[in-house]
Amino acid sequence: MGLSKDPWFRNRLIRDAMYQAVYNRMKVDDSIYIMGEGSHMKIHFDSPQIEKEFPDRFITLPISEDANTNFAVGMALAGVKPIVDVITADFLYRTMDSICNTVAKSNFVSEPKTIVIRAEFLTAGPTTGQRPESLFTHIPGLNVVIPSNPVDARGLMATALEEKGATLFFEDRMIEDATTSREDMLPSGLIYDSIPFGKAKIRRRGHKVTVLSYALTLRMLDVLFAKENLEYELIDLRSIYPVDYKLISESVSRTGALLIVEPDVTYAGVGAEIAAKISEMCFEKLAHPVKRLGAPRITIPASRSLHDLMLPSEKRILEVAEELSK
Amino acid sequence: MNLTELYERMVTIRIVETRLQELCFKGEAGDLHFSKGQEAISVGVCAALRQSDHIVTHHRTIAHEIAKGSALRPLIAEVLGKATGINGGLAGEMHINNPAIRHTFSFQLVGTCVPVATGLAYALRYYKKTDDVVAVFFGDACTSNGQFHEAMNIAKIKRVPLLLVCENNGLAGNVRKEYYLPTETVAERMCGYGIKAETIDGNDVSLVQARTREVVELYVRPESKPLLLEMNTTRLCCHKQGQGDIRSKEEIAKLAERDPLLLTEQKLGITQQQKEKLWSKIEMEFERILQDVQKDAWPTWNPD
Repeated sequence: MGLSKDPWFRNRLIRDAMYQAVYNRMKVDDSIYIMGEGSHMKIHFDSPQIEKEFPDRFITLPISEDANTNFAVGMALAGVKPIVDVITADFLYRTMDSICNTVAKSNFVSEPKTIVIRAEFLTAGPTTGQRPESLFTHIPGLNVVIPSNPVDARGLMATALEEKGATLFFEDRMIEDATTSREDMLPSGLIYDSIPFGKAKIRRRGHKVTVLSYALTLRMLDVLFAKENLEYELIDLRSIYPVDYKLISESVSRTGALLIVEPDVTYAGVGAEIAAKISEMCFEKLAHPVKRLGAPRITIPASRSLHDLMLPSEKRILEVAEELSK
Repeated sequence: MNLTELYERMVTIRIVETRLQELCFKGEAGDLHFSKGQEAISVGVCAALRQSDHIVTHHRTIAHEIAKGSALRPLIAEVLGKATGINGGLAGEMHINNPAIRHTFSFQLVGTCVPVATGLAYALRYYKKTDDVVAVFFGDACTSNGQFHEAMNIAKIKRVPLLLVCENNGLAGNVRKEYYLPTETVAERMCGYGIKAETIDGNDVSLVQARTREVVELYVRPESKPLLLEMNTTRLCCHKQGQGDIRSKEEIAKLAERDPLLLTEQKLGITQQQKEKLWSKIEMEFERILQDVQKDAWPTWNPD
């Protein structure tokens, strides 16, 4: 599961799909603004159409992540639906106060407003390769979504722009375009189809083990299970908050086993929460304890040669899945 | 507003806060922060603004809410945590938001109000295309915080109609300014951003009203630019309920000679009898509302 050589050209399909949803909504809703540091540059590269058609509705702000998100809250108080581009997920730590204290809490003590905070995962080293998504699932008042494919990216962004509330929208730039299946590609034209939050998707039907994942590792499993023609039930979470416990518990009740494969550090991660909840919900139906695979609690190193070691190997995943299917 | 009206509003704040403080000590009201001695700023500034102008405030916010024209009943209910409060009892004193009177938001964390107010001012001018302005209130201690400085950068670059009202009481909580303010005044710090700033006496309510009106109508509104008014004032109460005060009784007594209420009474030439009549009218009004509010329901909710 090697990574692409040049991360800049990785995962263009998901980004294009996300921006297509933004573009489609901006055409009919003049309250949608894009803002953030270097947003001008990003739009220029990622979606020049938006720059051309709505020059007044993207706001380039200084490198001041925390004030930028608070600025967006101020705009939301006047009826704007801001998309705050924080660019790299690691930069979210710079704006934790405005996200957790301002965005989430102001939506609680007043009429909730639509705010989308967008960031992407890279793997360039210790502070340009972190995955902070699970932290945000702990904060009341935030939705957290991570699409694994273009169709989901467009549908989830459409929902984020309608949602009365705040959404952390992550793009996983470690996903390789070349592995995108035909049904996950966008149909052409201005199609507007939203995908509700908290609705997971069964990617692959199976009766042996329920395998749960999202984003990068979901894509890895998708490819792997198709290649090996394995009968595991594969579920894409799509939103890690809210979580579709109904669908997961129904699947686990059928298969009797759950393997969670996450692209993040497993310690105190999303998988830990879901494992606990599903163990409570489906205890009688589980033939094995819920298993988790993911990254060790180690800082991501700069050297590319070490990156593949951060995630479980195909071999390890298949071994564990096989054990659970007994 | 004429001076009598300004005085009456300041007295209202003083009485409401004094009575709420007593309720605090009885455990009936939460963690409250008062503006005793600083009332002339909120009252003078809000009187100079249009009704449609917005204010964004910090954690010491009861004064601003009354100054912007809030009805007392929902305010008292909010502070007591009742379902009938401005925000259903969910916000409390430190997060009051009352869009109906354009007290658009208040934020407990020091600094947050400034970038939020900057974004609001930007959206009012360039999205809503109104000529309303935003007045944001903060203390001198707020200028220690990165949020303040990041926001000044944006406010100047983006050309927003923002009046920055610095309530300079020379204290950060219970800490004196030699621990956080590297300059004599806050105003002089603004030259680094190319933002106009001046320092005035924040305990003179007529001056606050008059100067605010001038800078808003001659500069902030027509030019759509930020401007800072540093208002020197005297906080005559402790930082928050149940805390001690770093200052001695003598020092506070000395500051109280510049109590804005006292200064206004002198200017008005109000007699003791007139004063007592006005104060007891407002006190009775407060008691009537309080007894009413105490019968109100507590908020209930479904956490799912």
